[in-house]
Amino acid sequence: MEGETRVTATVDESVMEGLAKQNGVTLGRVLGRGNVGMAEEGSDGKMHATVRIPLDELVFDPGVLILPHAGDLELEIINDDNNSHCAVLPSNGDSKFIWLVNFSKGTATLQLDGPGYYWYGSRTGNDEGRGLTGTIVVTGEVPDEAKLDRPPQPRP
Amino acid sequence: MATETEYVDAGEAVDFRNLSPGYVGNAPDVAKGVNYDRILKAREAEPHNWLTYYGGYDGQRYSLLDQINTSNVKDLKPAWVFQCGSVGMHSGASTYSFEASPLVVDGVMYVTGWDGWMWALDAKTGAELWRYHRASPYDVSLCCGNVNRGCAVADGKVFMATLNAHVTALDAKTGALVWDQVFGDVRAGESATVAPLIVKDMVIVGSSGGEFGVRGHADAFKLETGERVWRCYMVPEPGQPGSETWPADGEAWARGGGNCWITPTYDEELNLLYFNTGNPCPDFDGGVREGDNLFTDSVVAVDPDTGEIKSHYQYTPHDVWDYDSTMENILFEMDGRKCSGHFDKNGYFFILDRTDCSLIRVVPFVDRITWGEIDSNGKVTARVFPDKEGDPVHFWPGPAGAKEWTHAAYSPKTGLFYCPVQDVGATATRRRRDFKESIPYWGAGVAVDTEDVSGYVSAFDPATGQEKWRFTQEHPMTASVLATAGGLVLTGGPAGKYWAFNDTTGELLWEFSCGSGHHSSPSTYSVDGRQYIAVPVGYGAWTEGFYPGALAQAGGAALFAFALPE
Repeated sequence: MEGETRVTATVDESVMEGLAKQNGVTLGRVLGRGNVGMAEEGSDGKMHATVRIPLDELVFDPGVLILPHAGDLELEIINDDNNSHCAVLPSNGDSKFIWLVNFSKGTATLQLDGPGYYWYGSRTGNDEGRGLTGTIVVTGEVPDEAKLDRPPQPRP
Repeated sequence: MATETEYVDAGEAVDFRNLSPGYVGNAPDVAKGVNYDRILKAREAEPHNWLTYYGGYDGQRYSLLDQINTSNVKDLKPAWVFQCGSVGMHSGASTYSFEASPLVVDGVMYVTGWDGWMWALDAKTGAELWRYHRASPYDVSLCCGNVNRGCAVADGKVFMATLNAHVTALDAKTGALVWDQVFGDVRAGESATVAPLIVKDMVIVGSSGGEFGVRGHADAFKLETGERVWRCYMVPEPGQPGSETWPADGEAWARGGGNCWITPTYDEELNLLYFNTGNPCPDFDGGVREGDNLFTDSVVAVDPDTGEIKSHYQYTPHDVWDYDSTMENILFEMDGRKCSGHFDKNGYFFILDRTDCSLIRVVPFVDRITWGEIDSNGKVTARVFPDKEGDPVHFWPGPAGAKEWTHAAYSPKTGLFYCPVQDVGATATRRRRDFKESIPYWGAGVAVDTEDVSGYVSAFDPATGQEKWRFTQEHPMTASVLATAGGLVLTGGPAGKYWAFNDTTGELLWEFSCGSGHHSSPSTYSVDGRQYIAVPVGYGAWTEGFYPGALAQAGGAALFAFALPE
């Protein structure tokens, strides 16, 4: 555009698609992509969500899981892939580990602070680099008693 | 795809630590009897332990242990090494550093790492008794790396601050969480890296975030329950004492910095905590905060019962060089007078009367100081500073200071202070910017020198201010110093060597290459009559600030315990 510095060429749609799949433009899927999902509040006081590993995609789906607030998450993990994977998941006290053979499912109970986000992944081979690295996003604010005593300030 | 009924049951995810060979899972109940009285008498009554951050409330980092001494230190060897790598992605993946000071209670070592790690180790063998790993948000604001400086122990609990500004109490036997309190706002750019301090029935912590325009504070919580006792802001709001040193209009005070991210020292007789505070914000743009900007870059004496500020001394009024004064005030006696010694980032060594924080003596402790001058009466004259927009200025010391946060030591035996010194300059160019919560608020572009730098360990006599000896080498010194009754001064360098010196002459007596640089606060202890030196090794953090010439130095994740052969 006139008056602006062009730093990159326009990216073709096929290239964009190739970034989000295995052995397309890249060897694996570039991290931080994929579907976005939201955990649901349960009557047990915990949040609940399901993450799947689809066949031959080497990703967690949703790749970005959003929690409405800090607290306990009961996560179901389903491996629909015809290969074995695992997950090392963030939780206060210690990470949680689950091994997921082909076509298996299990659960992990996680306790997370917020706000902020956390990565997790499958620590076998280079699953993490190929795309099996997901995020859990905790939304919200810190408790009022932890906030600074000052007038409201601008945010980005 | 398989059908629902064909899924293999993978079960419930397990604690990752259970997949660590040799992991024990519990520790002896040694911390139950640790209390305020024991910590008060720690150095003299139980020199085999290292019960609190500096080894004692006075901050001296001095041990009465003398089994390892000037005559036999040449035989010092690693007795064991504890290694901790990491799994997956964590915040500050390139800036983590092992900065802690290990505590030891009757054969059990408690030590924190980066990214929410806390370990209890067998201090004799290095066996991992238990671990706690606080999940830390990947996106927390960290000016200076993913680091933590240590823990506190009392009442059967271990206390640790987390990157996202929680203070947690753990069961010292198992590592299980007892209570958890939030004391900072990560959306405002706050975080926490401080080692907590136990005083009376409270645990004391302070906030980080001085590069993000927060309002610095210290907080006290009940040991037993985590109930908040007080919060003390280090920048006054309008109308409070000190507010006259900030612009009368606007909200500069609300973004003023003054964080206390280093553990205070404490005088029980005077009933005063000595907090040291960080830079004002924005770091380099003084035009938006005219005035002295109290209580930034100061020592602030606080009543631990109320959180009330009793007195202060400001080392760098109206700082525009990022000269935090967060590093320790070491308490000592001189000519029957209650004094404190402090090596400031601004390159001057201050001796104060700690009863009222009045100045006794101030002398330079680094060769190159061009930012300005402090005369013998404490009068500050600024000479070189970022003033005009877009105009680069070079000054010594650079923003990491002539001494970084890593600690000096004081030996009552020699009467000398031992200081790790950085002789590094920098260029800052003022660039005014708007304030937005969680966005770095420096007010300048900064490039630290990569050439013509050096470092030294220096011994100073507080009675005269004279340097008694100096060990010089090409690297800025970025590790805390330890002094012992064995006549030794110990510290490490950025290239990985750990050294022992004669405390009187400065003669180098022993060295060992640890494989990564030193940026921690080693401690010493003994178990079953054998003395150990515990040295966390893992270079990193704000390397671009204190020594960019070492940005490619190998990271590390090891704790070495050195001892004499059995």
